[in-house]
Amino acid sequence: MIRFQPGNLATPKQMRPVYIVAAGQSDFKKRYPEKKTEELAVEAFRMMALENNLKVDGIQELKGYIHSAYYGHFADHFGDQLLGEAVIHDRLGLDPLGNVGIKTGGATGGSTLWIASNMVASGYSNCVLAMGWERMDEVDTWTGNHYISTAADKDFETELGHIYTGYYALMAQRYWKVFGKGSPAFRRTMSKIAVKNRRHAYSNPFAQTHGKITVEDVEKSPIVADPLRFYDACLMSVGVSCVLLCSEELAYKLSDHPMRIFVTAGSHTLRTADRRPMDIPLLPHEEASPEIRKYYASLKGASSGERYPGFTGFLAARMAAYYAYRMCGINDPVEDLDLVELHDAFTISDIQTYEDIGLRPYGQGPDYIESGDAYLTVPDDGSFPKKLVGKRGRLPSNLSGGLLGCMHAVGATGIMQVAEIFWQLQNRWKYFHARKEMWERFGKTMPKDIENLQVPNARRGLAISHAGVGSHVTCSILMHPDAVPAK
Amino acid sequence: MPKHDFDFNNLRPDATVVRSLEPLVIEKPRAPIHVHTYGGETPFFRGLSQGKLLATKCVNKKCVPAGKEGHIFLPPRVYCPDCMEKTEWIDITELARRTARVHTHITVEHPGAFNRVPIPCELISVEIEGVSTIIMSQLKGAKAQIGMPIQPVFETEHPTFTILDLAWVPRKE
Repeated sequence: MIRFQPGNLATPKQMRPVYIVAAGQSDFKKRYPEKKTEELAVEAFRMMALENNLKVDGIQELKGYIHSAYYGHFADHFGDQLLGEAVIHDRLGLDPLGNVGIKTGGATGGSTLWIASNMVASGYSNCVLAMGWERMDEVDTWTGNHYISTAADKDFETELGHIYTGYYALMAQRYWKVFGKGSPAFRRTMSKIAVKNRRHAYSNPFAQTHGKITVEDVEKSPIVADPLRFYDACLMSVGVSCVLLCSEELAYKLSDHPMRIFVTAGSHTLRTADRRPMDIPLLPHEEASPEIRKYYASLKGASSGERYPGFTGFLAARMAAYYAYRMCGINDPVEDLDLVELHDAFTISDIQTYEDIGLRPYGQGPDYIESGDAYLTVPDDGSFPKKLVGKRGRLPSNLSGGLLGCMHAVGATGIMQVAEIFWQLQNRWKYFHARKEMWERFGKTMPKDIENLQVPNARRGLAISHAGVGSHVTCSILMHPDAVPAK
Repeated sequence: MPKHDFDFNNLRPDATVVRSLEPLVIEKPRAPIHVHTYGGETPFFRGLSQGKLLATKCVNKKCVPAGKEGHIFLPPRVYCPDCMEKTEWIDITELARRTARVHTHITVEHPGAFNRVPIPCELISVEIEGVSTIIMSQLKGAKAQIGMPIQPVFETEHPTFTILDLAWVPRKE
């Protein structure tokens, strides 16, 4: 629909607060023949149960609290196994508790949290497991491309190349040419995103990649679909990530430092073709700004030729943020949040997302990077003016390494993001990233020049989980209980 | 002599192909055929084989906004997404011939399995005057550019009865 009525835009409510008390994950690799998915799931669960300072005496006591389970997995056909959730649930020894499989493409992890958190909010369960995974290494890349392309419209899109990246790249091209003006400066901004996220992954033992890259490396890498190059595109991974969500009473029984969690969802047509022009739904800080409203009015019409959302905005992300900011009392995301994990499937779509969630107005996304806001500390790597180097960014993004640096085990990604934010809010980044033992556990060596990526005094974080060309997007917001805005 | 010390000289034709012994990794071949119907969208695909580009339109005057504003859907929809009444088919071949332009494009060089489009392929999205939607398709005989005027061509000799029976070529302005 392109015209809304009040029922469509109602601000979501939780009937009671929901908390995240623990998180765990496997390491992420392109291929993982040494272990079946079920084994990685158990390892993720064990980390969640045993390494989050839960006030329980071991796994069996913790399992005694779990009431229902929510499993996210995007692509059954890769694993040649339907009802994968039944297999995982069984291996975790959680049968006969109720469970359900959830799938929304790349947003699967976020959608799993959407359902799981609202089952606690409703009162149905006091304690739920939300777990996501993916395994795409059972077929060759050629077949894998076809399988993923079936997430597009099978009659009107898939046949055109059997390659999903192409359909995504059509959107990226339009954004690149119209808003980026095809300029080298814009190309450079894209490259900086890849450099930043790989640099963060360098300090993350869970990550699939472990090398730093430069903007030259990015701009010389092979073309995947012009203008997208190899380093502009996300990884494909095997791995599992999970979290435990609880009601307030149970959260404080199990943990001294639980965090509030809110999850919202938006969607859009599967085919980019079908996105009819409409007015931009305004986020709270945009509604409050006459300059932004005037600027948006000027974007319409013959002079720019641009339609909203067209091929350049992800309405699903805009809607998820629309609901989330009103639900949580976020007035201006850059001011009110301390860190974000965005779905950097491609460098260009990352920039598009900055605008959809209001980090910058539409058309001005690159400024989030160029201003230094996206960095924990603006690096001295020659790509920033001297006066910005060393400056603290207002809203660092993808400290995990994101999809460009850390992983994209599709069903797990949205949960990985929330796990990382949770550990940041608890001030426990170091435990999970900067101890030798965690690196050795995954057969790796901790680099001598590992960076400290803990955001000081992090109180609020946001994660965006996004499907393909934007058919589904969820927004997960975590807050320290003392930082939840009063209604 | 121990059984299964993995002497591969005695393979039977139907033997499992082993990729690795530690861990044990095997191949599992699959080749299903899907029997797929176009159902109510049949006129569109049949139309391509006849050299016609068909779309659908909401004709419910009370429908907001598709019916009131005369939205034309390409790809066609059997039911209007706004009011859910049945749409009507309209022939937009001439409209496309006169007004179509490239909205965006990408060159596909790395397709996936089962692809039948010759590679490299100029994948495009097509704007047509008066049509609310922007259909994905392929450009032949030229490198695409945003704004390029184009016209439809149809595979009428040997139709595949897929979206591949529709392509576009540059239009002289």
